[in-house]
Amino acid sequence: MGDPFDLIAGWLHETVLIPLLYALGLMRWEDLAHGWVLFAVYGAVQVVLTLAICLPLERWRPVERWPDKSAVGVDIFYTVLSRVGVLPLVTFVLFYQAQVALNGWITDHGWIPPMLERVLPALIGHSLLTFAIYAIILDCADYWRHRVSHQLRWWWALHSVHHAQRQMTFWSDDRNHLLDDLIAFLWFGVIALAIGVPPMQFPLLVLVLRFVESLSHANARVSFGVVGERLLVSPRFHRAHHGVLAYGRRSCNYGAVLPWWDMLFGTADFSRAFVPTGDPSGDEALATGSWLAQQRSGLRRLWLALVSRRKEA
Amino acid sequence: MIVLLTDIFPCPGMSAAFAAGLAFVVNSNSASISVIDMSTHQELRRVPALREPHHLIPSPDGKSLLVGDTAGNQMLFLDPATGEVQRRVAVADPYQLGFSPDGKFLVVNGLARNQIDVYEPATMTLIKRFPAESTPSHLAFSPDSRTVFVSLQGSDKLAAFDLTSMQPLWTEPVGPTPAGVLWLNGKVLVADMGNDYVAVVDPASGHVVDKLVTGKGAHNLFLSPDKRILWVNNRAGGTTTAVDAETLQVLKSYNIPGGPDDIDFAPNGDLWITRRFVEKVAILHPETGDFETIDVGRSPHGIWLNPTAPSP
Repeated sequence: MGDPFDLIAGWLHETVLIPLLYALGLMRWEDLAHGWVLFAVYGAVQVVLTLAICLPLERWRPVERWPDKSAVGVDIFYTVLSRVGVLPLVTFVLFYQAQVALNGWITDHGWIPPMLERVLPALIGHSLLTFAIYAIILDCADYWRHRVSHQLRWWWALHSVHHAQRQMTFWSDDRNHLLDDLIAFLWFGVIALAIGVPPMQFPLLVLVLRFVESLSHANARVSFGVVGERLLVSPRFHRAHHGVLAYGRRSCNYGAVLPWWDMLFGTADFSRAFVPTGDPSGDEALATGSWLAQQRSGLRRLWLALVSRRKEA
Repeated sequence: MIVLLTDIFPCPGMSAAFAAGLAFVVNSNSASISVIDMSTHQELRRVPALREPHHLIPSPDGKSLLVGDTAGNQMLFLDPATGEVQRRVAVADPYQLGFSPDGKFLVVNGLARNQIDVYEPATMTLIKRFPAESTPSHLAFSPDSRTVFVSLQGSDKLAAFDLTSMQPLWTEPVGPTPAGVLWLNGKVLVADMGNDYVAVVDPASGHVVDKLVTGKGAHNLFLSPDKRILWVNNRAGGTTTAVDAETLQVLKSYNIPGGPDDIDFAPNGDLWITRRFVEKVAILHPETGDFETIDVGRSPHGIWLNPTAPSP
């Protein structure tokens, strides 16, 4: 039995993309298109899987009920853009090219490119264990990126787009300012290059991790229990991070998948239960504006943060 | 018709159900090499690579099977009789690779890094690096080992390099998205994936002197062991085309959907073909046009058969 996602991507590639590329005289992009369609299929499956599990959960045990859910619509757009559309293609191409250039350059100079399996050769052939170690390292790096984004005023100006949502649902995971996404990509990219993460080797497990991140934003009264809350980030744990009293530097629970880093570095708070979400410091456009209005508002806030910093100096 | 096809595609081992030996299939997106028992068609094991292996070739002395892992920047040396890893050597971006017929040089195309590297095989010392215009893809040698021809997939050209003087000879346009390259009867054949033909190129000038239409997205081409049939895989059309190697007349086309890519030939006359998009290898019986399939890993690319390996 093959990998169903890979087979779906292969079928789409052969029956849709290749005829199109061939007709347009763009066959030189065929390999790249194959990589993108695989990303897009995994992204689409992530969306469908998340929808299939989180939507019933939100209906079963909602934390809040809203008569008007129009603010959620923008988050759906963010999700599709981030997981299925152009962004995966850009991410794949940029990261792949950077990895090829850096590792090739290192190899040319007689050094060995950084790679977990080269440090621990026993990992070769044990893909699950290797992935688990990569995932733990990257999750720790993401904890620090996230925590710093709350500490620096200019960065918080961008990150507040993510926090402004008062109607937080599982769709809100990808609600980010484009510049915030770009910084996150560079942060992730540098760490990933330093430890040699293989971008396409473990797509199924990446899918599971992204699912945990989406679930943690769900508008669902779901907790993993005393022990489970300390093993995996739950909707209850992450909701405390989005609480109206926890915006900016006041926040807690920065972990994306594992709560271990919050516990280790003193930012965990297991006491807050299902608080209202939002960023009271942001303007209304950040919360209920269109995608473009949110992006614009984030930029304006960034500018103000930078200008006020200059005045203070 | 059957008599005619049997004449065209002689099957020395037709009496045997399957050929004996081991097949090696490179699973590019699974970062592994499948080792298959050719007699039972069972996958015996998967040898782990690091990141993204693509092509493979046996060493001239037959003692090693070299597998290039592009994103892993590593060359794996396998025991061709068992699949055991002999050693792993750091090599920058090894995509397609080939030994010159005299065995003096190993040429490695760095597709992602736009470079063509020439190594001294025994020590794996880099002798020469030729910068390439764009995405050097496949390669072929002249029989006298003086020249290596490399398709430049991103610039629609073929380049020739003199391995004696270590100087570039020419770079000429050969058609859209050239991929597979083969020396045949004093000409260089280049499969043009952006079109439906194989360009016939004069090795001295690099000029296209003829075009052989085989199918949409002509991607890669291989000469049968008896040198009578030229086999061309057509990526967009999902076909494998048999061509008379002497006259360059198309004999027959077979539907092999799923992105047919590399081919190797079993002693019984079967063709083992990797199918990139369906995680399978097809075993084509040319006399009937039927094919069987073997499940392998994601994006199977390079394939090599070792019929002399003892079946387990």
